[in-house]
Amino acid sequence: MKRFILRRLVAMPFLVLGIVTAAFLISHATQGDPLISVLGDRQMDNPEVVAAAKARWGLDRPLPEQYLVYVRNLLTGDLGISIRTKQPVTRDLLVRLPATLELVIAAMIVGSGIGIALGVLAARFRDRPFDHFSRLFALIGSSLPVFWSGLILLFIFSVKVHWIPGPGRLDARTTPPDFVTGFYTVDSLIAGDFGKFLDALHHLALPALVLGWAVMGIISRMVRASMLDVLSQDYILAARARGAREARVLFHHALRNALIPTLTIIGFSFAYLITGAVLTETIFSWPGVGSYAVNAARNLDYPAIMGVTIVGGLAFLITNLITDIAYALADPRIDMK
Amino acid sequence: MRTDYRPNRRRAMLVAATMLTALGLGGGHAASAAEKPLVIARDFDFNSLDPARAWCDSCQIYLTNTYQTLVRLAADNHTLLPGLAQKWESNADQTQFTFHLDPQAVFSDGSPIEAKDVKWSWQRLHNIKGGPSFMMDGVKSIETPDAHTVVVNMDNPNSEFLGILTASYTGVVNSDVAMAHGANDHADADKTDTAEAWFLAHSAGSGPYVLADYKPDDEVRFKANPHYTATKVGISEVVMKNTKDAVAQAQMLENGSADVAMQIDPDTAKSLPADKVTTEIVPSFNFVYVALSPGAKANKVKLTKQVREAFADALDYKGIIQFTVGGAGKPQPAPIPNGFPGTANLPVPHQDLAKARELLKAAGHPDGFSIDALFPNMNVYGVDLSLLMQKVQQDVARVGIKVNLQPVEFSVWRSHISGDGIPLTAVFYAPDYYGSGQYVQYFAMSEGTAWWKRAGGKVDPSITNPAEGKLLQKALASPESAKDGVYHQIALDMINDKIIMPLVSPSLVLAYGKSITGVRYSACCNLPIDEISRK
Amino acid sequence: MAMASTNAPAWRRPSWLTLPVAAGGLIILAWIIVALTVPLWTPYDPVMMAGRRLMPPSAAHWLGTDALGRDVLARTLWGARFSLTIAAAVISAAVVIGALLGALAGFLGGIVDGAIMRFADVTLSFPPILLAMAVTASLGPGMQNAAVAMIIVWWPVYARLMRAQVLTIKQREHVEAAVACGAPPARVLSKHVLPLCWSPILVNATMDFGQVVLLAASLSFIGLGASPPTPEWGQMISEGANRFYQWWIAFGPGMAILSIVLGFNFLGDGVRDLMDPRTQ
Repeated sequence: MKRFILRRLVAMPFLVLGIVTAAFLISHATQGDPLISVLGDRQMDNPEVVAAAKARWGLDRPLPEQYLVYVRNLLTGDLGISIRTKQPVTRDLLVRLPATLELVIAAMIVGSGIGIALGVLAARFRDRPFDHFSRLFALIGSSLPVFWSGLILLFIFSVKVHWIPGPGRLDARTTPPDFVTGFYTVDSLIAGDFGKFLDALHHLALPALVLGWAVMGIISRMVRASMLDVLSQDYILAARARGAREARVLFHHALRNALIPTLTIIGFSFAYLITGAVLTETIFSWPGVGSYAVNAARNLDYPAIMGVTIVGGLAFLITNLITDIAYALADPRIDMK
Repeated sequence: MRTDYRPNRRRAMLVAATMLTALGLGGGHAASAAEKPLVIARDFDFNSLDPARAWCDSCQIYLTNTYQTLVRLAADNHTLLPGLAQKWESNADQTQFTFHLDPQAVFSDGSPIEAKDVKWSWQRLHNIKGGPSFMMDGVKSIETPDAHTVVVNMDNPNSEFLGILTASYTGVVNSDVAMAHGANDHADADKTDTAEAWFLAHSAGSGPYVLADYKPDDEVRFKANPHYTATKVGISEVVMKNTKDAVAQAQMLENGSADVAMQIDPDTAKSLPADKVTTEIVPSFNFVYVALSPGAKANKVKLTKQVREAFADALDYKGIIQFTVGGAGKPQPAPIPNGFPGTANLPVPHQDLAKARELLKAAGHPDGFSIDALFPNMNVYGVDLSLLMQKVQQDVARVGIKVNLQPVEFSVWRSHISGDGIPLTAVFYAPDYYGSGQYVQYFAMSEGTAWWKRAGGKVDPSITNPAEGKLLQKALASPESAKDGVYHQIALDMINDKIIMPLVSPSLVLAYGKSITGVRYSACCNLPIDEISRK
Repeated sequence: MAMASTNAPAWRRPSWLTLPVAAGGLIILAWIIVALTVPLWTPYDPVMMAGRRLMPPSAAHWLGTDALGRDVLARTLWGARFSLTIAAAVISAAVVIGALLGALAGFLGGIVDGAIMRFADVTLSFPPILLAMAVTASLGPGMQNAAVAMIIVWWPVYARLMRAQVLTIKQREHVEAAVACGAPPARVLSKHVLPLCWSPILVNATMDFGQVVLLAASLSFIGLGASPPTPEWGQMISEGANRFYQWWIAFGPGMAILSIVLGFNFLGDGVRDLMDPRTQ
């Protein structure tokens, strides 16, 4: 066990270097010129102006030199300066990360909360209508293109019935709460502004629901399967024979044991959610890392593309590592598919 | 370990019920402050907030409202009015301009605006070599005989200079404050100036507002400038909120979370409820055009004058305006916007399929030909370029021309057009300032202009039209009264070149809440915020 | 444990034809038929103008018309040709490349194994959509480039799967016997090992079909995939997003994606249930 973890940890730096190199090659292999966003169309014809801009952004040096400079800076935590926003990429990401995390965590809460409930009940009412309904509901969730369900729900709930406010994290007029965690919900509670908290929650509701629906499926299926497995065990029979209430049987005895494999799926879903966040942020005008990545890709903002890819890759690596470890831990004791 | 679950479940349900009720009741979270901030919904395209580097439509709005220029453009988008300069004179051959500054004018920190600030700002504008630096091209020297007089000497006659000065990019910067934060106006400023980061959080001008906060991709907050000398602003706090598409902007207007939106397309505008939102459709000076480049490497067929004329005749101009902007747009004959000098009474193009087929036959392509079209996949000024090109594709298919569409990112388009060239493309243009010279310098087929190079003037000399260059010199040296006639002549020539074919000048949809007044579109400055107020 | 009462059905249903398998199979079959035959029976051309623009659903146009006056239903049905083709191409290429590399890695072990698996790990370390975005941004938009990006994203999955399979099978007696008899490695691989490895790969490939369709549509939605006037579903939804109040433009392609991916998910779910020893 320990050797397994150690081996994975030792491999990490090489993987990170691999990610960095791949990201560098991909972003520099492109046909376009990022300077267009700096100079505008007209000035791109002026060789003097273009040369000055190239020098300023270090784009006039040969490719291998650019690569080495980048890696060296990376070791000090410097991800370069975004050609589009003119801010350090590290700063851009730090500012935007809380927005994405807030969305992903909220989606996780919604997804696992409803997913676990559905899974438990589906196991309890196995093969009855509820089971089939929840299975269908879950499958639809993982089949829906997130960018389409988001649009439809936005249309219904924001335009037609006005239950949900428009795009963004907060009403445009309110100033965001003072930065503590970057989560508008948490920060406004810390600042004691309950109205702002509700506003932030109100804006968070629909994107979290849309994104959470996608993982509800996997989680509820997993919970159902493990619950079915657990519910056939002897100690459950014993508890029922003792006269324990059904709710206690389900939640106290069964779910606790069914949760362990479920946790691994939740970890895996987390990574999947980060992917879904890219599309969700685009639709809901959520200023997070996802929309930053889309803008970077569109504008060939090399430093930003590499920054997002490296940080995203790192996060993915870590989550996968944790999930794999948890999987391996859970493996010998529980009968997993 | 708990032994009884009922209280827990009840408590949980109570909390859930409370939250749901609160969510339902919390429908109107708008600020309860005495005066609501003005919210402008806009798709951000900021590339910088540094007045010498900022170069975009959103930047225009930002700069107009935080910096002031020497000359202003009146609401009729035509007449020049005093700005920071109370009066000015130019010599007979348009090579020297003298400006007399308003001695009462002060910056946002209270310090007086002096001639040295004007000189410093304009020299920095030129030496930073950023997007707008070309505006100071041709300036030989700037002299400051006294604290309130500025004399500009040009290399060549340039009657456009006054129009250029209405552009917000030439705004005057508080040189002392800027220099204290790393700015300079020396010849090597492009390498030594370090103030761009500071400008992302501070404005150093004299405009009606100052920058309060900037969150990239999110919002820009303005506060009223306490030392603003002209009329008091209507609303003291303004927020520009990044809202990507027209539909989102419309939604925000509808539910009151935004007050002004300028990028809603006419189709969406029709769906806005008239009791909540006022919609005004005004003609704009932007236009979308297609361009044929005979010199492009990828040309499968030689794009002779006949072939180009046939292409132009096959286009369904009226239908294009209907398809792209639902009819809310105007045809534009020449690559100079309607209303700019020289554009009165120009012949409007019409579709003539019979003539197109004839010309194609005469040119040796009775069955048509195929052509590659690379273009940026953007939605600009309400026109979806993809949609536009699909319509163009359908139109010319009727005379046998098969267009192969390839939408790409703008930056990719850029490297193609200035590299191998593109046989057929579509793109847009918005005025940098009020004046027709910029269009001739960009679109005319005289040696050295941007489109002469792109269309392949170096490779295919047949497209060169030397008359346009000579006429431009004449126009730049002409006094105000004679300019129109010369530009009219140039416009006729440019139409005849059949390289640049403007397809539509999309009208601008100004959409704002019922309680808002004073919203207008300006050729130089996009949206002057200081005139907006609540009824 | 309580058992639901069952009425014996009038006909003998084969044991593998459970509800999910049947439902999924039917949906997919329907779409394949549509994709193959749609040029023969649609009244409207998906690319040319067919009526007035932005018309709501009516008797003449069941899903209305889009911004260029094209029939939305016709475009939706035609879209199946593109989505299914792309998905088939991507899955086949990813399976072939991945399985080949995985088999080599598992069978040969050592440096080859190390190198191939490192490559796979690096690729798998990218969030799939970011990698696909980066590759398409650099290669340029278009369905071919998007397909290349997706193949790059997907091959490690099959490589890993195949490698795990090969490692297990490699230790079986008949393989060791063949090696002991002096059979050349290529022959051992192709005749004794590989035939036993394919089934989990095929099952996974079927289930991944839906995910590829989703990813392709996502890329087109962002603007990095199909280009107009191709009636590709993601592209159509992107056009529909700009025309919010004309909801039918995005409705058709959205429902199409939902139904196809649902079909594959049903099928995959059903197959997985069948193979799960616990539910038998």
